[in-house]
Amino acid sequence: MRKALSLIAAVLALAGPAAAQEANVKASLVPETLGVQPGGTVTVALRFDIREHWHTYWSYPGDSGEATAVTWTLPEGVTAGPLQFPYPERIDVGPLTNFGYENTVLHLTDIKVPATATPGSTLSVKADAVWLVCAEICIPEEADLALDIPVVEGAPPVNEAAKADFAATRAKFERPSPWPARFAVADGQLTVAVDAPELAKAGLTSAVLFPKSGGFIKNAGSQTVDTSNGELRIATEVGRRLNTPEKIAAAPPFPALLVVTGADGQTQAFAFEAKPGAAAAQPAGEGALSIWMALGFAFLGGLILNLMPCVFPVLSMKALALAQKGGDVRKARLGGLAYTAGVILSFVALAAAMLVLRGAGEAIAWGFQLQMPAVIVGLSLLFFAIGLNLMGVFEVGSGLQNLGARDTGNGVTGAFFTGVLAAVVATPCTAPFMAGAVGAAITQPAPIAIAIFAALGLGMAAPYLALTLSPALVRRLPRPGAWMVRLKQVLAFPMFGSAAWLLWVLSVQAGATALAAALAASVLAAFALWLWGLAQRGEAGTLARGAAVLAAAAVVAAVVLAPHTATTASAAVGAETSGPKSEAYSAARLESLLSEGKPVFVNLTAAWCVTCLVNEEVALSGQTLAKEFERQGVVYLKGDWTNRDAAITALLEHHGRAGVPLYLVYPAGSRTPTILPQILTETIVLDAFAPARVGS
Amino acid sequence: MLRNLTLAVAVAAFAPAVFAESVFAAPVVGELAPAFTGTDVNGKTVHLADYAGKTVVLEWTNDQCPYVRKHYGSGNMQKTQEAAAADGAVWLTIVSSAEGKQGYVTPDQAKALTADRGAKPSDVILDPSGAIGLTYGAQTTPHIFVIAGDGRLVYAGGIDDKATADPADIPSAKNLVIAALEDVKAGRPVQTPESEPYGCSIKY
Repeated sequence: MRKALSLIAAVLALAGPAAAQEANVKASLVPETLGVQPGGTVTVALRFDIREHWHTYWSYPGDSGEATAVTWTLPEGVTAGPLQFPYPERIDVGPLTNFGYENTVLHLTDIKVPATATPGSTLSVKADAVWLVCAEICIPEEADLALDIPVVEGAPPVNEAAKADFAATRAKFERPSPWPARFAVADGQLTVAVDAPELAKAGLTSAVLFPKSGGFIKNAGSQTVDTSNGELRIATEVGRRLNTPEKIAAAPPFPALLVVTGADGQTQAFAFEAKPGAAAAQPAGEGALSIWMALGFAFLGGLILNLMPCVFPVLSMKALALAQKGGDVRKARLGGLAYTAGVILSFVALAAAMLVLRGAGEAIAWGFQLQMPAVIVGLSLLFFAIGLNLMGVFEVGSGLQNLGARDTGNGVTGAFFTGVLAAVVATPCTAPFMAGAVGAAITQPAPIAIAIFAALGLGMAAPYLALTLSPALVRRLPRPGAWMVRLKQVLAFPMFGSAAWLLWVLSVQAGATALAAALAASVLAAFALWLWGLAQRGEAGTLARGAAVLAAAAVVAAVVLAPHTATTASAAVGAETSGPKSEAYSAARLESLLSEGKPVFVNLTAAWCVTCLVNEEVALSGQTLAKEFERQGVVYLKGDWTNRDAAITALLEHHGRAGVPLYLVYPAGSRTPTILPQILTETIVLDAFAPARVGS
Repeated sequence: MLRNLTLAVAVAAFAPAVFAESVFAAPVVGELAPAFTGTDVNGKTVHLADYAGKTVVLEWTNDQCPYVRKHYGSGNMQKTQEAAAADGAVWLTIVSSAEGKQGYVTPDQAKALTADRGAKPSDVILDPSGAIGLTYGAQTTPHIFVIAGDGRLVYAGGIDDKATADPADIPSAKNLVIAALEDVKAGRPVQTPESEPYGCSIKY
């Protein structure tokens, strides 16, 4: 029937104005190797040379069209795998969009030959290929193709004429996405979020989403890409399968292909099934309603901050001071307002700093301030000092703020800076608990982001502000008494706890040496503050004050020194993976390994190379590979080209490469390396070290 | 956590409101089919509302398209049209090909085609501006929509579930239009209300 149909089509074509035209697609079968071993596999390409401006189709053809299909007729025992499609192009036809190929395309099929095949014999394989080819009009075409494959002993020779085409086709094959993806629908938009910080940071020049199934998105819809907030988000018009709330509630996973081109000019296709869910991406078209929502939640979040161990002690003391003071309502109000202003302005200042840095292209999110070891040390010391203050080691009599119960009446300025202090001590608590929410706020336009931070600050200041504005509330506070001294001392412990937690963070971030420096600074700080306290009580003279100043200077020195011990430590942390252990590449090390006849794997990489990072994640971090390397005694040399490195550049040039990645496999006893593809899987690496498995 | 909560609440609270405001180019199955006005091969103005109370089938066609030929050449489309007529349904064949593009026909050519093909539509509407096609989000020829007597769209998609140009696949395919018409006649919800339409792109 198919043949009859194409005959009809051919007759029609002859009868019509296109009479002189040949078929629109020249189809042929091309083997990757010139022969196959018994028990081996030969990859065969169905090659299409397509007439200019015409196209054939991907496995999901889009709004119209039909995927190319092949029916194989094979000798007994020979089996064919599925027809493999490289990632397609987007082809717009009026208001509709198709996914397919123009000019030339190869569809690959793995043909597996039984171990019983006799060397010297020939296997005849037949392919009945059916495809639709369209310009604006469409013509179904078909071809009966045949290929003779000789069965040979040993590895068959590579079909050199087709080598480049096979490589180019394989480079366009999809790989399973190493990153989870999810999607959400709102306001007629479907947003897919791929949790891929590597991609988000990479400065992609293009990212296109291809649906693998119809109806999830409008194929012809334009796609907007957003890489802020550490993930890759693509938003486009939602399709008919998700156009009602009921359908969205019952949404199945969305199978799709993400095709990205990095700053290094390399394009890769990642396949995933995006999961539907409430944890979904910030919808691109979110309207004014949710801004109020966000402000409300920010206010609530601010309120909750008052209960955090970092903030609660400070606030309690402040409130109790108010109760103790009683009386002057006007002064209390002014103080409350100044405190509120201090909190809000601090949050807004932090937000503004972050917006400015992001605007300058820094990949930072909320909590960025905690990525700096110096800030961690500083905050830890601050908490420690507040704890000592609450313990009564020293009093803060005047100056920036009044933490204690004894108000010395430094008024509006003091209250303002208490607000600043409260905001500062709150940051370690906001960062872990609210990084997500605040990070989402940052992706909003600047005025909205600033408003959300201001709401957060207002929420945080609200309880104290309410106290100062309402004398009735103040009267409800418990009467001052000796118990307050005890409470103060008890509240020192959450502060010590916070300080201890920050030191732990520091140890992870910057290592043991930095931790030692910070602990030394803490001891010195305790000593300095104790001396300071003695002087305050008049129990020691000028000498004590001088000693305190000296100790304080030592603290500053320790804080400054601590971060400088950081680099090596954090690098060591970063190297912890379950994959094979690597050593740094050097030409001398490689030379000495090769002269010993050791097998060597060389990986030339760079932190800014997306392909490299993806390969390392996908192919080079598995335990299987680590065990295999260990078993075979493979030495893994890693050359980091993040910063220019003449030795690595030379090695790249030696192999005719202008850049990374480059993967070299030196089998045991060999000085001639095999170059692995730039797109790697663990199997490729394993196979490269297992010559016995070639051809299987 | 807070973000998840925020979004969950926001989505739950506002999703219906947002949807009520949205305008989709493609009609939603289960909701009222969009109204349209067209001109038939006799120059008569036709409104969807003219057929209120009756089941209406809309069929997009392009006589040059291999997928349309598959179903007309084999008699499958005519058979489906007869089944609709037997149920008292109205069948409107619509041509949205723009003038100068494949499938565009003059009223006389359209009449001749209906006669040649032995087609049994209630009427043929010429839509060279593509207005009706775009209102319905019609993608392919054929692309079929079934509207129940209460004006609700109850089916949108292909004529059957075998997306090929090969007439040999018709006997083993499930005719989704006949199935939908049977469900409507029996007063049941349509079992398969949507399918992926297949065929040539409409030449807007």
